[in-house]
Parts: sequence; C-alpha cells; structure tokens
Amino acid sequence: MTTFLDVANILLPLLYLGTAISYGFVFFASHPTANRTATPALRGSLLLHLAYLAALAIHHQQFPAATVSQALSIVAFAVAVVYAYVEWHGRERSTGFWMVALVFFFQLLSSLLTRPNPPDRAIFHDKFFAVHVSLALLGYAAFVLASAYGFLFLQLYRDLKGGRFSTFYGKLPPLEVLERMMIGALSVGFATLTGAVIVGAVWAQRLDQANWFRDPKILITLATWFLYALALTLRRLRHWKGRQTAIASLAGLCAILFSLMAVNFFFTDFHGFL
Amino acid sequence: MALPEMPEPSGRPRQEPSLLLIGTDFRCSPLELREKVAYGGHEGEDLLVHLLARPGIAEAFLLSTCNRTEIYVQPRDPGNDDEAYRAALELTFLRRVQEMEKPGRLYVKRNDEAARHLLGVASGLESMVLGEPEILGQIKQQSALAETVGASGPVIRRLLRSAGSAGARSRQETAISSGAVSLGYAIVELARNIFSGMENCRVLLIGAGEIARSVARPLVERGARELKVANRGAERARQFQEEIPQAQLLSFDARLAAVREAEVVVASTGAEEPVLTRKQLKEAMKARPTSPLLVVDLGVPRNVEPAAGKIENLFLHTIDSLEHLIQRNLKKRKEEVPRVQEIIEEELTQFRAWYRNLEAEPVVAQIQKQAERIRQQEVAAVLSRFPAETHGDLERLTRSLVRKILHHPSAHLRGQGGQSEGAARHDLSRLHLVRELFHLDEDREDKDES
Repeated sequence: MTTFLDVANILLPLLYLGTAISYGFVFFASHPTANRTATPALRGSLLLHLAYLAALAIHHQQFPAATVSQALSIVAFAVAVVYAYVEWHGRERSTGFWMVALVFFFQLLSSLLTRPNPPDRAIFHDKFFAVHVSLALLGYAAFVLASAYGFLFLQLYRDLKGGRFSTFYGKLPPLEVLERMMIGALSVGFATLTGAVIVGAVWAQRLDQANWFRDPKILITLATWFLYALALTLRRLRHWKGRQTAIASLAGLCAILFSLMAVNFFFTDFHGFL
Repeated sequence: MALPEMPEPSGRPRQEPSLLLIGTDFRCSPLELREKVAYGGHEGEDLLVHLLARPGIAEAFLLSTCNRTEIYVQPRDPGNDDEAYRAALELTFLRRVQEMEKPGRLYVKRNDEAARHLLGVASGLESMVLGEPEILGQIKQQSALAETVGASGPVIRRLLRSAGSAGARSRQETAISSGAVSLGYAIVELARNIFSGMENCRVLLIGAGEIARSVARPLVERGARELKVANRGAERARQFQEEIPQAQLLSFDARLAAVREAEVVVASTGAEEPVLTRKQLKEAMKARPTSPLLVVDLGVPRNVEPAAGKIENLFLHTIDSLEHLIQRNLKKRKEEVPRVQEIIEEELTQFRAWYRNLEAEPVVAQIQKQAERIRQQEVAAVLSRFPAETHGDLERLTRSLVRKILHHPSAHLRGQGGQSEGAARHDLSRLHLVRELFHLDEDREDKDES
C-alpha cells in the first residue's frame, strides 16, 4: 500500500502534466493525435487519482484531508472531475488546457507537501470534520473553476473589446457561456463554503471552543466568503457585469491559495484552537 | 464492376491514371469569358453526351461553376490522347468562344497532375477565396449529373470519390475553411464569440444600402432571431425588405428604442454625423445591465461615436477591425495549405493504387476462369463413377477446394497495388510470372485456336 501511495504521489502530477500538454496541443494547434489522446489521458489520470485517495483513506483509516497536501489533492481531484463532466456533457474541450493545468498545479503542490505520516488526531475521525472539510474543499474546487473561467472570460473580453484577436479568440466558448459557467461555479462554491462555515461554527460550539473565530484561517476564510458574497450580490443587483465578477473570482482564488498555503505554513497546523 | 478497356501489360507499369483535364478559371479568364463557357444543367448534359459519342473518350466529367469550367476525360487509348484532347477542347470551349485558344486562357493537365488538380479544387485550394466550402457541394452535384448521363465510368467515379474524401478530410482535419473571410460572416463570427448562439441574437441594421444587404444575408442565413432595419429613406427600406423578406422595417427615429432590445447593431449609413452617440448607447446599456451588445460601424465617416467603445459590455467594431479579423483568418487558412496538400497526396496515392490494381484484375479473373474450367473437366470425367446422390457434394467439395487454393494468390495479386510506387515495376514482372506459371497466355491462345 505504501509503495502504491509513493508511486501514485509521483505519478499523478506527471500524468496531469502530460494531460495538460495534450490539451495544450488541442487548444493551440488542434493536433490530431492530441485530439484523440487528451480525454482518455484525463480519464486515466482521474482513475489513478481516485485509487490514490481511496488508498490514502484506507491506509490512514481517516478522511484523506488531514494535511494540506491531502486537501490540495482533493481540490485537484474535484476540479478534474467537474471539468471531465463539463467536457462530457457539453462536448466542449477548449477550456481543457487551462483546467487541467490548474489540476496539475494543485496536485504538484500536494505531492511536494506530502508527509509520510500525517497526524492521527481524534477530530479526523469525527463526522463533523468529514462534512465540514468536504464542503469546504468542494467549495474551493468550485472557486478554482470559477477563477479559471473568469480568467478565460477576461482574455476573450479583452480580445473582443480591443479587436486584437489573440490566440484565445475563436478557440473558447462565447463570452456569455464563459460568464454563465463562472457564475454557476461561483454560486455552487459560495453555497458549499457557506455550508462549511455553518457546519464548522456548530462543530466549534460543540467542542466548546469560545475563541474559534480568532483563528487566522477562519478569518481568511470568512474574508473570502464576504468577497464572494459581495461579488454575487452586486452581480445580482446588476451593478457588476461579467468583467468585474471575473476579476473578483480571480481575487477570490488568491485568497483561497493564501488560506490554504500561507496560513497553514505560518500560523497553524490545522485550526489554531484545535 | 465493369472495367474500362485497358491494353494488356506491355512491360510499362501503369503508375499514373490516364486522365486529361482542360480548364479555365478566374485566374485565366475574366468573368465575361467565363460566363460564356459556363454550363447549366441541360447544357452540361448535352456536352457530356457529345463527348462520349467521340471514339477517343471513354469517360468524362464536367465541373462548371462561376469561377471555373473544367472538363475531365479518360481517353480510351492511354498512350495517345490527341483525339480526346481535340474533342474536349473543341466541344467544351472553342465551340463557344474562339478566344479561348489564346495562350494563357486554358490550362491542360494530364494523368497525375489532372487528378491532383481535382483533389485540390475539392479541398478549396484552387478557390478564389481559399478554403471556401461551396465547391465540394458543386462537385457532388455535377458528379450526379455525370452519373445520370452515364458519362462517369469506374475511373472518373473513383477519382470523384477521392476528391470528395480529400475535400471532406481537409475541412474536418485542418482549418482550411475556418474563420470568416467576408464582412457579413465576420460579424456572425464576432457575434458567435459573444453570444451563446445566433438564434438568440436580435439584429438591428441602421441603413439599408448595399453593405447592409450584404451583411444581412449571412446573419439571416446563420439563424438570427430577428432582423430590424431602420432607414431614413422609405423606398430603399422597402427594396431591402423585398430582397430580404424576414426584415422588419422601422422608422429611423425608432432606432434608439430598438438598440435596447438588440444584441447586434450594424450601422452602415452615409450620414455625415454619428447616428449613434456615446450618450445614446450608454442610456441603452442601462436598460440591459448585464447583456452585452455588439455594435459594428461600417460607415465612412463613422456612424458611431468612437468613445462608445469604452462603455462596459459594449463591443464596438469598425470596418478596420473586421478587415483585421478577415486577414487573420485568411492567414490561418494559408498556414493550413501544407496539411491539405498532405491529405491530397494521401488520397492520390490511394487512387493510384486502385488504378494499378486494375492491371491485376484481368489476371485474377483469368486464373479463376481457368481453374473453374479444369474443375469442370475433371468432375465431368469422374462423375459417372459416383452415385447420383453424391454429385451435389462432389460439386461443392471441388468448388470449395478451388476457391480455397486460389484465395491467397488472388488476394495477394489484388493487394499489390497498395504497395509503394517504386514496387510497381516489380509488381508487373510478378504479373508476368503469374501468367507464365498458370499458362494464362497459352491458355488464351489455345482457346483462340480452338
């Protein structure tokens, strides 16, 4: 089991890198071989990833989100699954390169940060923990997707506004579709992050932690939540158009990365009060 | 399948298909000449019938479009196409316009070059607008005509299949036909990059002149949901509606209200002052806070205040930006030419291989015929020694034996055309060897003597 985990830990970023390169050839060159291989490569990588996460859970006898590395891997997996679904459902592969590149980035970070023996603490076996972390990671994955669509929206918007027609022009779904996907992903992310915050708050109360809201990670998460809430509200009130929402989704991604990485490195191991 | 009359192998391998092409196109002849040698449906039929009546022509195919008239013939005698050439030239071109005789008006291509040319035409490489897709449909239409008249035999039919395949593959596997290369389609392309589908687009045209008409057609053709036209002059607007009945006419003053509901606005008036100002468009955008608006200004001087381009969610394009887009698309199409040429060569190789297989077919047929004759003779010699109820089994057994023994050599002979061209001479010597081994020539001589 350990050997499989070690091999998969090295293999996964490499596979996602290869898949991203294939999608890159699809996007930039419409290469016939890449057109045939990109989707099977993604599906193969996803299968290995699923096996890896399952093996992690079985090996450590806990939900595989006990460390930053495991959380990042789950985010990568969730983004890849959602993209694979979007591709299958919409027969639309033009965003594949950008999505799989993000998946590769998250999985690479995960593999680099892997620790041989993740901590085994009582909370990791708590049902609240599994629900709270699952919702938070699902939300993060949705926000990652929203930011990718936001990035592509901004590129196409710039091309269409300036009449420059760069590499992006003609290869992406229309602006309206990109905007709809971005808003959809933001809404799902916001709903699940809200769920994660509520479950977390109830859980903290149950654990009798009075100072839980002073935890830097929670503060950053709440700030991120407010940013998304503001973006979606302004959008709903029709003050913000696609461009502003796309910029907000990119800012949100930066906050998420900060929350996931920097706070974990510099402030706490998990939550400071636990 | 009926085979064309081919000479017996004479020691020279038939590496190239025997074809002759005489044609003229937009590069060689001006429109005044091209229209004189253009053939409508019935005229084309007549021409093909007349050509086939000539003894030197075995098969023929006519391709006549607004940009080209080409006649492809398969001469009966592959070694001498003089008669076919004279007949095709006279009947197709000179009978109509003597001036076509002048140097440079016509091009003549033979064999491989002729086949390659047709494949290039089908792929859009020879079109006035590189990669234009209509030509493939025109070839299909005119091949149906040749089929109806009985002008296309196995060689032309197979060539047309290769042309169809090359054309379809070029469009599927390369970007030779991608991207708009006209003003109207450039607007459609821009709209498709903004909105989720043309069927969701309501179009407002301000101005009803020639430019408006030329851009309206592609928009309607691509399924625009609604087409409104606001024009100062009622007469021109009415003419517009006669030409494009889907259009709804508006008064010029109603244009501002129509902008609020439209997704695409195209202005092409001759007005000296802008017909849409920044202020007016900003007001219109307030009524549609999240929906984008594509505004195309084709007027010179400008019909839309340039400052309107800064309004959020409004995409203002001028004739310059559309021209830039068209040039970009044309450049991309040109970059695809080598890939299309590769496809053409692949299809041509297959066509040549098929053509060379025609050489093996008579040999295979002779072997099978000879084997069947021997079988019948041998069965007849021993049949009386067997009980009557076993005669059927004996027939089946011997037929099966002969079929199985000849299966591999026949398949091998038929398959040899798929090899490289360099192997063609070697193949031919093998065919001779097969003839000797099976005594095919002696067999024929014996038969002739008897």
